[in-house]
Amino acid sequence: MTPSAHPTADPIITVRGVSRAFEDRVAVDDLSFDVDAGTILGVVGPSGSGKTTTVRMLTGTLGRTSGEIRVLGEDPMRFSRRVRGRIAYLPQLFSLYEDLSAQENVGFVAALYGIGPFRRRKLIRRALEVVDLHDARHRLARNLSGGMQRRLELACALVHSPDVLFVDEPTAGIDPLLRQAIWDELRELKAEGRTLLVTTQYVTEAEYCDRVALIVDGELVALDQPDALRQMVFGGDVLQVDTRRAVDPELLTPVGGVSNVRQTAPRQLMVTVDDAGSSTPRIIDALRDAGVEVGGIEEHQPTFDEVFTGLVEQRRAARGTANQDTSEPRGLSNG
Amino acid sequence: MDDVAQGVVRMASFTGKELREVLRRPGVLLSLIVGPFVIMFIFGLGYSGYREPFRTEIVIPPGNELPRDAGYYESLAPGRLRVLGIGEDAAPAEQRLRSGQIDLLIVAPENASEELRAGRQTTIRVAWNEIDPVYDQLAGLATSILTSSLNAEIIEHAATEGISFAQAEIGPEAASVPPEVIARPTTAETENVAPTEPNVLSFFGPAVFALVIQHLAVTLTALSMVRERLSGQMDRFRVAPVTSMELLVGKYIAYAALSLMVTAIVGALLVGVLGVPLLGGWPPFIGIVLLLTFASLGVGLLISLVADSERQAVQLSMLILLASVFFSGFVLPVSDFAEWTQYISYALPVTHGIASLQAHMLRGTVADPWMLGVLATIGVVLYVGSLLRLRRVLRSAD
Repeated sequence: MTPSAHPTADPIITVRGVSRAFEDRVAVDDLSFDVDAGTILGVVGPSGSGKTTTVRMLTGTLGRTSGEIRVLGEDPMRFSRRVRGRIAYLPQLFSLYEDLSAQENVGFVAALYGIGPFRRRKLIRRALEVVDLHDARHRLARNLSGGMQRRLELACALVHSPDVLFVDEPTAGIDPLLRQAIWDELRELKAEGRTLLVTTQYVTEAEYCDRVALIVDGELVALDQPDALRQMVFGGDVLQVDTRRAVDPELLTPVGGVSNVRQTAPRQLMVTVDDAGSSTPRIIDALRDAGVEVGGIEEHQPTFDEVFTGLVEQRRAARGTANQDTSEPRGLSNG
Repeated sequence: MDDVAQGVVRMASFTGKELREVLRRPGVLLSLIVGPFVIMFIFGLGYSGYREPFRTEIVIPPGNELPRDAGYYESLAPGRLRVLGIGEDAAPAEQRLRSGQIDLLIVAPENASEELRAGRQTTIRVAWNEIDPVYDQLAGLATSILTSSLNAEIIEHAATEGISFAQAEIGPEAASVPPEVIARPTTAETENVAPTEPNVLSFFGPAVFALVIQHLAVTLTALSMVRERLSGQMDRFRVAPVTSMELLVGKYIAYAALSLMVTAIVGALLVGVLGVPLLGGWPPFIGIVLLLTFASLGVGLLISLVADSERQAVQLSMLILLASVFFSGFVLPVSDFAEWTQYISYALPVTHGIASLQAHMLRGTVADPWMLGVLATIGVVLYVGSLLRLRRVLRSAD
């Protein structure tokens, strides 16, 4: 699947044909995408799919094998001090100092960005307040819970007011309530005009992003807005139709705007339509004409689990076809 | 100017962080500093310098005119021998030596006086069963003392007989020279001209201190850097606008400050509590400590850059400590080693630290100024090497 291009004049992050190979495997293969200013790009994929490798290449902490990357107009491997001062990186693993307090950890990172002690005090307070850790500022990092440590990492990433944040799996291993809170904070940052690239293995978190890149086995499988990805998988809107008695799915296939009908239960149909609004009355009419009483009809929002499962299946199917195409001539020549 | 100020802030961030981390674990610091001194204090209290005399058996063959009194032989090498028995048969005594029942066996020659009169040397056989090199040397020393004394006794005995002959031949004047004077015409009067009285605490105090300083710097730096490398903190440094120079200088300042703190505490302990002399004064003392710290930090950084786990960093630090104990002159003088081994000794910062601190504290001089130059050179070489390596680590994570 070809990632859809996002038309912007001046993207903050540009990635073109980037690959990274290690000794025994290709971790990232021919990745291309842009990230516009003031948006969140969610990089979603299973564990080991190449998300962290991608983030590390974007932050200049890992070199690339081929391709081109620009962040704020510069190659990450040759970032100037000016650009370094405008970006922040929240690594996947907790890497702060356990023997320092929350406040001292944030202060240390602030000082790394050259912020002097007087200005630092105010910024530390603000960063800790953003992640709701100000009350715990004197506690040593080792005494904070896993969720608090993750928020402390986020505070450290925010303290120098970066324009661009690279956030690697901020919600990994964190309970759902806290995950929601962290995403609220990330969306607030976006509302302030910052640009974020966030990786996650929780596909449900894709809906918090402006655009989503699905990476599987180091390859970009899809790149678009969350709703567009739903459409891409199911070929349109999906209506869930409940009836009072069992009905033959073939009854609805001739209805205008209907592209697919699946029976999910004896008295339930999933109907894919071009547009839910215009198709609903036509489906109700068709059922009534056939003497079927409609129990209920509503638009079904497929979960992102379903969306990404569908995308991965489509990719595998496409690959299977491609493999067949390439193997057929060989088979013929052998025969 | 802004860049300079920001650079200072960044360096200070590392200094502050390192100090906080170390001081947050006072137990570690305490065990590193106070531990060796408690051990040394107990050692000083418990060790008197007195060594158990060798359990000795003497075999005097029949016909030999040497005395059979144990006290007589003990008096020949005072404090070094405890004669358990005097016999005539060497074989059972040899058996007891091999089984560890005695430490030393002395077999006197047969007819020593006759052999002497005949102008022939006689041989006293001395055997011991010892694997400890220090005791081995002491046994040799005791043997040498005993042999000299026995020789003197034999000469004295022969001379007594000779005087009767001389009186008959050369007249009564010969009788006026006592035989012991003929046997021992000179005596020795000893004097130690060192400015301080030698004692175990004074001698080992500066050495333990130098070892503590080196171990502190090596261990803490190595662990700190390895932890940062393995925890992913290095990635944060790579992304932040921080340079390898700022990182290193920040850490060096932290450990220099820490060393000064340790110097103040340990110096007060050494001089004030343990009574170790400080003849050369404080400023040069601090200078030597800072040089030693500078060189030791380089060793710690080197370890941190080659170790791939905290465990390996600890192991390498322990190896440095072990090498320091053996080769630095801490236990045995460096000059006792073969020349090629001395290169290992002089590659260790603590070797120069021990020699310089002992000379400075106990003699009030810098015995070998070149040692301070070597310390500075080790420090500079390792600093530059670490800087170059760290620059590569920070800027290319391939």
